[in-house]
Amino acid sequence: MKVLIIEDEEELAKSIAEYLSAENYLCELATGFTEAMNKIHLYQYDCILLDITLPDGNGLQVLEALKKENKTDGVIIISAKNSLDDKINGLQMGADDYLTKPFHLSELAARIYSIIRRKQFNNANIVKQDELEIDMLAKTVSVQNQPVLLTKKEFDLLIFFIGNKNRVLSKSILAEHLSGDFADMLDNHDFVYAHIKNLKKKLNDAGCGQHLKTVYGTGYKWAGN
Amino acid sequence: MQALLSKTTKPFLVYVLIILLVSVPVYYFVIKVIWMGELDEQNQIMAKTTEAQFGQLAIPENELKEKIRFWNQIQPGTYVEAIAPGSTVKDSIFTASSQSLNLADKTNDDFRVLVTTIYINGKPYYFRSVTNYEDTKETVAAIAIVSLFFFGCIIAGLLVINNRLSKTVWLPFRDTLSKLKGFNLNNQVQIDFENTNTIEFNELNQSLNRLVQHTVSVYKTQKEFTENASHELQTPLAILKSKLEILLQSDELTEKQYQIVEEMNKALARSARINKNLLLLTRIDNSQFDSSALIAFDTVLMQSLDMLQEHFEQKNIRVITSIAAGVQAKGNSDLTEVLVNNLLLNAIRHTAPGGSVHISLSKPVFEVANEGQQALDPALLFKRFSRFSADNNGSGLGLSIVQEIGRFHDWKVQYRFENSFHIFSVYL
Repeated sequence: MKVLIIEDEEELAKSIAEYLSAENYLCELATGFTEAMNKIHLYQYDCILLDITLPDGNGLQVLEALKKENKTDGVIIISAKNSLDDKINGLQMGADDYLTKPFHLSELAARIYSIIRRKQFNNANIVKQDELEIDMLAKTVSVQNQPVLLTKKEFDLLIFFIGNKNRVLSKSILAEHLSGDFADMLDNHDFVYAHIKNLKKKLNDAGCGQHLKTVYGTGYKWAGN
Repeated sequence: MQALLSKTTKPFLVYVLIILLVSVPVYYFVIKVIWMGELDEQNQIMAKTTEAQFGQLAIPENELKEKIRFWNQIQPGTYVEAIAPGSTVKDSIFTASSQSLNLADKTNDDFRVLVTTIYINGKPYYFRSVTNYEDTKETVAAIAIVSLFFFGCIIAGLLVINNRLSKTVWLPFRDTLSKLKGFNLNNQVQIDFENTNTIEFNELNQSLNRLVQHTVSVYKTQKEFTENASHELQTPLAILKSKLEILLQSDELTEKQYQIVEEMNKALARSARINKNLLLLTRIDNSQFDSSALIAFDTVLMQSLDMLQEHFEQKNIRVITSIAAGVQAKGNSDLTEVLVNNLLLNAIRHTAPGGSVHISLSKPVFEVANEGQQALDPALLFKRFSRFSADNNGSGLGLSIVQEIGRFHDWKVQYRFENSFHIFSVYL
């Protein structure tokens, strides 16, 4: 799967590419507006990561161009601006998601995963992962045709793990993912443990193998194919 | 405190009063001197005329005595009397009362007297001329009354003129003043002072214009600086975060190193939060938020509670709520959410495990109360980066943001300590 990273900050772009490459994504970099325009014109991508503030132009114009050419690439805006107006503008112009810097690469990977799955499988939105069958739109999970009843948070957590399979997700990363904006304001991240315990139990009970592994004491990872 | 007008008028009036008071004796003295001179001259003329008239008549010596007696009768102002031949009377001018002169006039008026020698038919005669002059007290009183009348005229005139002037001459000043009063640095609106034809006011307006422009631009730069600095920090923070995550995936990572990465992650999350909060504060300050939406406050609160419920449970905190349905407020929904979240998170953070938190929402007031040990200083509580607890996890900006959001919406945010509860109230 091909991902285009439009980001003028090279170190960040390199990190993103490195993280995603291990996930079997084919990453291409564009550090400026012109380069980005050339690339989107020539190639089709599964997902485009778009920084709005580029040295030689506005990222939103890339979005406009994509729309004009009726391209269906998934677009995630990554911006240093946490401005609601930008967010609304971007989403209205056809972006699929909006991520504010600084973000975790795992968070980005999970969102790319969701967007690509949603776009690719359009109506039949079933993703298979190990013994699991996941309906991305209905947000349901089943094992051997038996539905597994997950809460919204547990489902979210599962997608986060699968979007980062075989990756170490530390407790603080999981806490930030689960509580959104204010994980750092909570002095205790044990709530992560409670959710994971529940998820593990439900998957086990449904006959799913032990894919959620504890690493380094407080970290976790989804070990699977 | 006095108005400018009364400040300038008062010394004027005092000055005028002093001058007028001094002028009364001066008038009196001057008039008296002139008057006396006139009277003395009159007496001299009287003496000369009497002498000349007797000389013209050339009355025989034997009839003269009879004629003089007759003269003295019909001319009560003069008195002629024969004296020994060859002798003279010493000339003198003085003031005397009617009594001392034994005059028929029994009023207590003063008289001006001239005593001299006149010669009739070559013989010397004693001559006295007496002229009445007005009583001193009457003169002074008359002058004082006239002076007072003019003083009254001056006061009335001054007040009328000053009133007029204050309405016209001071008009540009009042205009400038009212514009300055309405000036708010936060609104970033320049003031346009009107042109006047008064040099001083024009200078004042020009100086104020320069001052205001300078202040606004400095303020703007400062705000832009904060905003830009925060934005600029986001990217290096993003790089750091991404590098840490790549480090986390390294196969050779030991558990000890993993813990270090975790600690770094936490610190990074905190700096990102401080940065975000600073940005938020700047943007509230800059009024970059729309505040015209009608917010269902109870819904916002319920959503926040729902989201944070597990964190209350985590710390075993009892949450007692009394939330009235249908409480609405006008404002910005995102900021309202931030306000509610910050207050609830504050309560979670600062309540000991097993403690309780009371949350109440009614028509005018939203209150969050959490158990605590002792009252906190409300002056420092809302200040940026002031901390009260040993826990250093917060950004130090949460309550400042609450207060700023309150100010932005014109909601009063208050803190009080009652019955071992820290109570934060927001009056909607």
